[in-house]
This record gives sequence, C-alpha cells and structure tokens, in this order.
Amino acid sequence: MHLEPSMKQAVIRRTVRKFAEKRLAPAAIEMDRTGRFPWDIAKEMAGLQYFGLEIPAQYGGAGLDTISYAIVIEEISRVNAAMGLCVAVHNGVSASPVYVFGTEKQRELFLVPMAAGKKIGTFCLTEPNAGSDASSLETNAIREGNEYILNGNKVFVTNGGISGINLIFAGIQTGEKGKKFSVCIVESEREGLEKGPTEELMGMRGNPVCPIALHDCRIPLENLLGGEGEGLKIALTTLNGGRIGIAAQALGIAQGSFDVSIKYAKERNQFGRSISEFGAIKDFLADIATRIEAARLLIYRASDMKDKGLNHVRESAMAKVYASEVAVAAARMGVQIHGGYGYTKAYPIERFYRDAKVCEIYEGTSEVQRMVIAKSLLNE
Amino acid sequence: MNIVVFIKQVPDVPNIRIDEQRMTIIREGVESIINPLDCVALQAALELREREGGRITVLSMGPPQSEEALREALAAGADKAILLTDSAFAGADTLATSHVLARAVSKLRPFPDLLLCGMQTIDSDTGHVGPQIAEELDLPQVCGVNEIHVDGDLLVLKRLSEGFLDTIRAPLPALLTVSKELCPVSDLSLGAVEAAFTQKDIIRWAAHDLGLHPDEVGLAGSATHVRKLRQPAARTGGRIVTGSPQSIVDALIRKLESMSILDEED
Repeated sequence: MHLEPSMKQAVIRRTVRKFAEKRLAPAAIEMDRTGRFPWDIAKEMAGLQYFGLEIPAQYGGAGLDTISYAIVIEEISRVNAAMGLCVAVHNGVSASPVYVFGTEKQRELFLVPMAAGKKIGTFCLTEPNAGSDASSLETNAIREGNEYILNGNKVFVTNGGISGINLIFAGIQTGEKGKKFSVCIVESEREGLEKGPTEELMGMRGNPVCPIALHDCRIPLENLLGGEGEGLKIALTTLNGGRIGIAAQALGIAQGSFDVSIKYAKERNQFGRSISEFGAIKDFLADIATRIEAARLLIYRASDMKDKGLNHVRESAMAKVYASEVAVAAARMGVQIHGGYGYTKAYPIERFYRDAKVCEIYEGTSEVQRMVIAKSLLNE
Repeated sequence: MNIVVFIKQVPDVPNIRIDEQRMTIIREGVESIINPLDCVALQAALELREREGGRITVLSMGPPQSEEALREALAAGADKAILLTDSAFAGADTLATSHVLARAVSKLRPFPDLLLCGMQTIDSDTGHVGPQIAEELDLPQVCGVNEIHVDGDLLVLKRLSEGFLDTIRAPLPALLTVSKELCPVSDLSLGAVEAAFTQKDIIRWAAHDLGLHPDEVGLAGSATHVRKLRQPAARTGGRIVTGSPQSIVDALIRKLESMSILDEED
C-alpha cells in the first residue's frame, strides 16, 4: 500500500498550484463580486489542457489518472472554488460521459472541442420538480423521422451561462405511456434551446448557473448518447465519478480555508501574543487539519478504485459526504479564527464559507450520499 | 543548434534550514523544485530551439530522486534527459560537481553548440558550477546574461552589470549562465507532465559510465571542505531616526561610535 503521491502527482500538484496562485487566486475576488466568468483565463487553461483532464491524448486531453484529476480540482478550488466547479463539472460529468458512452463519431464531434476547452459542458438532470428524485423527470423527447424533438425545463445548470454542449436527460416517448430515460447531446446554438438568467447564488458566484429551457428543440438522432433507455446507467456511472470531483473541490475549499486561517492565526496578536498560542485556536487548527487529511485519503481511495475498474459507489459517496462536510466545518472554524475580520470581505474566508455550503447539496445531497452508503452496507 | 541545459534540484523554501551538526541542508519534509534560474535557462533553450532548430538535452547530477526535476524538464519540452547519479558523487563541492557535469558533456555526440545554466542556485548560491564547467571544457563563458541572439556562428549577448548594459559577442560553442530577466517561464501543460512520466525515458550515467575514478568525484574529489556551517542570524528590523537633518546626523554618529564603527577621535 502506497499512501504517498507519486512523483508525477507531486509535479501535477506543483504545476497547478503555481498557475492557480498566479492566475486564479487574484481573479477569485472579482468573479465573486461581479459574477463574470473570466474567459481570458479559461483560454489559458484550455491551452494547458485543464478542460480535458482525464480525456486521452488522442482526443486532445491530458490523459490523467483519477488521483491526479482530484489533485487538479483540489488545487484550483483551494484558491478559486467557482473555477474549480467549472472544471470539475465540465470534466467529471460532461466530457467524461461523452468519452465513455459516445461513439467514435460523437467523440470527434463533441469530445474534441470539449477537451480543447472550445466548448464547455453541462450535465442537465435537475428540473423544477425533480432533484434528488430523478425518476420524476418531465423533460421529454419525441422521435420524428431522423430527429428527436425535446421539450422541458432544466434548472440550476452549472456552467449553464458559458456552455457550448449540454447533456440533457430526457424521457423518450414510446407509445402511449412508456418513456425511455435517455441522454441527448444538445449544442447551445440549437434552435429551441434557451438559457435563462444567471441565478443569484449565495456562493460559487463566479460560475454562471442558470436554467435551460427546451421548446420543440430538434436534434439529429446521432446526438443520442448511448442507446435509448440508457439514461439511468449513464447518470449513475457519471455521478459516481462526478462525486470524486465534487469531493476534491470540497477538499480544496477546506485546504484553502485552513491555509488562510493558520496564516491569520500566526499574524494576529491579542493580549500581547499571537492568537495561535491560545488553546482554542490550536484545537481548531488540529481538528481541521486532521479532518482534511482524512477527507484526502478517502478521495484518493475512491479515485484509486475507479482507476482499477472496481466498484466504488460506496467509496465515492463516503468521500463526497465527508469532504463536503469538512469543507463547511473548515470554513466555519476559519471564520471563527478570523473573528470580526472573518465576517468582512477584506479576507477570503467569508467567500470560502459561502462557497463551501453547496458542496453538501449538489451532485447528491449529504442525505442522498448517506442513503447510497447505507444501501450498499445493508445489501452486502 | 544543440543545447545542453544543466539543472539542479533544490529545496523549495524561501529560507533554507541548516543542520549545523551534520553540516548539510535539511531536506526532510521539504518539497524539491528545479532551481528557478535553471528554469529560465531551459525556457531560453526552448525559445532558441524554436528559432534555430536542434535538440535540447537536460543534465543533472544528484540523488535518484532528481529524476523528478528531469521529468519536469521533459514536460517543459526538453528532448532528452540524463541523470548523473552514483553514491560516489555524494558530498561533492562545486569543483567535483563541475568535473562530473563537464565529463558528461564531453561524452555527448555531437558536441553541443550551447551550454546554459542558471547563474546561481537558491540553496548554495555560489555561482561556481557554470564557470567551472566552461573552464574544464575550455569554452568561452559569459555569466548573468539577460538577452541572447544568435547571429550565424556568433552569439550576441546582453547583461546588466553595475549599472551598465554590456553587449558581448561570443563564438559558439560557449557556456552562458542566465539571469532571471532573460525571459518569463511558461506554465506546464498537464498532458505534457503526464507524457513526461509515462512516455519518456531518463538516461542514467554513473561514475564508471563517464570513465571517472571514485577519487576524482564526490567528497574525495572536492577541493574544498566545509569546516563549519551555521544559520545566519535572522535580520532584525532597523530603527528609523527622525528629526531635523542635524539631529539625525548627530544621532547616527553617536550610534556608530557606540558600535565602535566610527572612531570617536575622528
């Protein structure tokens, strides 16, 4: 058992950290304030293959293993969680299923521009009446000649405002009542696809999350990903991997919170000495650092199992639920260490606190993760 | 133009810590990086290759874990990486290090047109190795360059020295040490890092591959020996003297006299 990152993974971490501190950390404040997505930085990242992390080199990707992928997401999120979210969702739940389930033609047509960062991807499952309960999806598709006609509403689409390629989960109508849950690849420029206004979010404000509506949106049959009725399989497989990305993102937020908080604790003097000499602060730091390390090991374990082709449903869910709760705890303790200054925008910790919360909600709430974990335990 | 770039793996700490007992730098728990000025040298080599063609070979002498630095150089775009590693090389001073590096260069076919390295390292900071390699190979050397142009068989170089901008012409082959003003270092692409670890090879040469006797390398081959190594005292903040010019001068003179820097009779 090797619990140390490999030489390659160490270089990956150093490479990403250097870029993230130079380019993404300064941009985080502006992204949070204005909600604007920094296309200039995204283009630089595209050139460095951040939009094709696990995609093989033959399609223009970096071909990284999953632990390296998690390290990349962690390091981006450590300074800029909104960009970490963009990269995690694009790679983990949009480009990845196009690679895994796509035909060679679909890979050429959709995956190559995604890996090159020319088209940013989304994963559109959630609807106004279907979130955790994916079985009550209302978006439907009707086959007509060589086309499917899509109608429905998707909400809370991460990367929605900047996307070029959207994976739409829809029920393909078969006969009177029957529906085959499927995934359609819909380009943003298709007629009948309409993006709504960007949501005013509590955190992750640099990521343009918006609704996407489909009104008689026609796509060719070859835009169906996998076969008709394969939607559930694609969703579950994708979310298993996607959870590792969100867990890594939460880990990055936790580590970022810890790093700014320990720095502050060393610098801040009260009662004539550094507050880091006080027992309460030491307890906070020791507790956060321990939980961060535990989260990291859970993530690496799930990643390693994914790379070995082992069933990692439980491990991914454990990593996701634990890391996201550590992120919230680390940011909360971080604000406490900062005291009054932590409640101001003069320090990044308040942004970490707002950004952290959603990790417990999206890509399966903490409650859903616990259901998944319990189910796998009880079915053994 | 075939270029050799010398790189050294150094600890990534702004303030190096020293083990005074063992008289070594503490490397445990510290991440290692390529010496930043060596990255500038490599970047300059990449830009020269872009304009002039040719191949880039990176050379490093160090323990087996220096492989990481060489792979990083391959990710940046070097064509070939050679690690000079042998337990006999341990404890080398700058002369013994230069001897091994120079011998490795003389083994290369064709002999390189240009040899580049950073003008100093962030750990030992001597600036000796580049010049010593040039001496041993009997090559012209220019240190601390911040601009490189190639004009046929001639290099046209610029460097800042003591407030002057020198323009120097040098014939090829030559050895240059570079300053940080030469060029900004590009970010690595993640796919290039992946490929550097999964698709490229590192060549390893030990003392016998270079035809070197154990007596001429490492501690045995060193001309200098460290007698004592200590951490310099941390700098304390200065004191700002304010007031009228005359009172400031008086205060300064009193202070300098009290420190016996100025003689009271003067």
